[in-house]
Amino acid sequence: MQIIRNDKIKESVYIETLDNGMKIIVIPKPNTNKKYIIWGTKFGSIDNHFIEPKTGKEIKVPDGVAHYLEHKMFEQENGVDSLYKLMSLGLDANAYTTNDHTAYLFGGTNNFYEGLDELMDYVQHPYFTDQNVEKERGIIGQEIGRYDDEPSWKLYINLMDCLYKNNPVKLDIAGTVESISHITKETLYDCYNTFYHPSNMIMCISGNFEPEKIVEEVKKRLLPKEKIGKIERIYPEKEYTINKKKNEQNMEVNIPIFMIGYRDILENEDNVKKQIAIEIILNSLIGKSSKLYQNLYNEGLIMAPFDFYDEFSNEYSHVVIGGQSENPEKINEKIVKTLETESVSNEDFERNKKALYGEYVSEYDDVETIGRIFLQDSIKGINSLDYINAFSKITLDYVNKIQKELFKEEMSALSIIRK
Amino acid sequence: MQITKLQSNKFKTNLCALFITVPLTKENCTKNALITSVLRRGTKKLKTQEEIAKKLEELYGAGFNCGVDKLGDYHVLKFYIETLENTYTLNNENLLQEGINLLLDIVFNPLIEENAFNKSYVEQEKLNLKKLIESRKDNKALYAKERCLENMFVGESYGLYKYGTVEDLAKIDEKNLYEYYKELIKNCKIDLYITGNNIDNVKVPDISSKELPKIESHHIAPTKPNKINEVQDVTQGKLIIGLDVENSQKAAVSMYNTILGGGANSKLFQNVREKASLAYSAGSTYIRRKNAILIQTGIEIENYDKTLEIIEKQLEDMKNGNISDEEFNSAKELIVSSIELIEESKEDMVTFYFDQNLFEENLSVTEYKEMIKKVTKEDVIEVAKKVKEDTIYFLTNDNVKK
Repeated sequence: MQIIRNDKIKESVYIETLDNGMKIIVIPKPNTNKKYIIWGTKFGSIDNHFIEPKTGKEIKVPDGVAHYLEHKMFEQENGVDSLYKLMSLGLDANAYTTNDHTAYLFGGTNNFYEGLDELMDYVQHPYFTDQNVEKERGIIGQEIGRYDDEPSWKLYINLMDCLYKNNPVKLDIAGTVESISHITKETLYDCYNTFYHPSNMIMCISGNFEPEKIVEEVKKRLLPKEKIGKIERIYPEKEYTINKKKNEQNMEVNIPIFMIGYRDILENEDNVKKQIAIEIILNSLIGKSSKLYQNLYNEGLIMAPFDFYDEFSNEYSHVVIGGQSENPEKINEKIVKTLETESVSNEDFERNKKALYGEYVSEYDDVETIGRIFLQDSIKGINSLDYINAFSKITLDYVNKIQKELFKEEMSALSIIRK
Repeated sequence: MQITKLQSNKFKTNLCALFITVPLTKENCTKNALITSVLRRGTKKLKTQEEIAKKLEELYGAGFNCGVDKLGDYHVLKFYIETLENTYTLNNENLLQEGINLLLDIVFNPLIEENAFNKSYVEQEKLNLKKLIESRKDNKALYAKERCLENMFVGESYGLYKYGTVEDLAKIDEKNLYEYYKELIKNCKIDLYITGNNIDNVKVPDISSKELPKIESHHIAPTKPNKINEVQDVTQGKLIIGLDVENSQKAAVSMYNTILGGGANSKLFQNVREKASLAYSAGSTYIRRKNAILIQTGIEIENYDKTLEIIEKQLEDMKNGNISDEEFNSAKELIVSSIELIEESKEDMVTFYFDQNLFEENLSVTEYKEMIKKVTKEDVIEVAKKVKEDTIYFLTNDNVKK
């Protein structure tokens, strides 16, 4: 077992890769009573075209299948729904699907091992029938309807449509009512057998655990599986431009909401360092303490700080800046201009580096955040502790370089929702 | 000022919370909401929010937050600051003390010019609050829930919107708001909560706080439930039902609420979502300090009658004692474990102890858990028999029907 100790935050991380290829990450938190486990597979909404490792058969699946599969995993052959079983143990259980992974999780103070039995049982025992797959269609249809009504979701999807022409990141994670109508139990089994193999999965556990012991408990509950080769995923060709500059949709929102996006096509950067640089740039130039933010606030053009973050995998990478304003076009113009013409001062750099460091450390406050972050990072091949260590390596020169290469007007787009 | 220290070695950050509590009234509601936003704009020392933001960044990105909330018939102005524990700083800074100083400065040493708040700050925040009030319809689920409560408690203080009204806002200026602020600080209850590991050595000045008047309000449910439809451009309808649970034993009502609509094993989730596939969401919330339960569902517009019928059947079933051991036990597990989680979150800890103190129950987390454990099925059935449907609210796109 690999042990990584970090003295700055006084935490240790234990990483074990099993013979079947599954990775287990344990972050012990001896003083907490809450325990948290999250088990993820590298299968998300963008993985809709792949080659089945066993047969070599090329498979194309309808949009929304990863999410549909997530819904159906809970149903067991004996009629028991595992979500309810976990909840009746007093555990807070859930599952979610993103662009690049699906995860099953629970947390709580008591009954952890009973919960572990159930989690590892249901994730390893798919039970799909024509009837139960059919029944789910109504529920997921409702969920899609709920998202269709959600202005902030539409705003995001419309921005992705600006930033990408063919990349599946622009699709609704749940698919559409039309696309899910083509999902059958065979589709679900094809995807399950490919992507739910241990070699494609990562488990993160945090709480008052002895790492060796909990890894043994997990191993005991794993079913033997035949080795499979590497899963080959097929994606559209990489794009190096944006699709369009602007999307606008009318929905019932009182004040227009907007998202500005930047396509990031820098391919040879260390993702951890780049992400920190992006945060420093945005905090310094458009964050709460920036001149731009204060001016826009005093002019009454915005009433709350911008939300910003970057998202990336091997297939996509972009920066998103969101907010609410009566005049999104003007905000867009100002932000794009600021990011292209102004640069981060040394004072801003030092102060925001410190602030960011504080934010990263405080993520280790809670077992749930820890588990989630370690899973999401490791899906992308990142060890979360690298963020804490990277601070000493970031220089203002590096930050300036990233700003110049990334925040270009021609790589930006604007999505607006207004009445 | 009452200072409560909640010691815990579970976290890497300290949370400090300052609460200003007054009776909730129509007259002062809007002013309270506006004051929190004006205060965070500047202090005597840090005159602009830019300076405050820079200060927070220097404190390793300390988080500052403020807002107002309704708690029973009280209005609470809340101010929070979260700082990294001193031991994780790079140069051994005393972030806890600096954080508390900043929090107190924001609340008690605001920027004052010529015996008034800064005029442009007040004007700006008035505009922002106006927009906030006007855009509440954007979050449909929350809006429907709040509208149901406002209808249920119409004419009573709990029926007020926590941010007040646009009409009242128009009457406020930097002078009368400052006058009100001085009165407020003199006549409110002030509580400071400090959580974290090494919290013994903080220095806090003496600030006087008042006892609040006891508020006894009795809501009486109508003999026939009020039906309210509100029309908006939505594709999914929100059916919200307000239940009156009288002043029953709170632990038993908690159990009743959880069996009815708390989590995936509840009657609502099982029967409305799972068996009938009528909704994506279906559940209920207990508003403890108002003896009310809210049932919340998101449904297709045309399924209104069917959904209402199924919900009412669940209420009937519970009255008739139709509660399985499994439903009962799993609800108990769910509540017990949620209580055990209180001490795993700084914010929940503060919220729990503040609520206990304000309503003079003064239970510890353990005592509260024991009370839940003692609840029997008979207790729950007793509650069920007293439950009355008070308000049936529907957010719909259909003018014609119902």
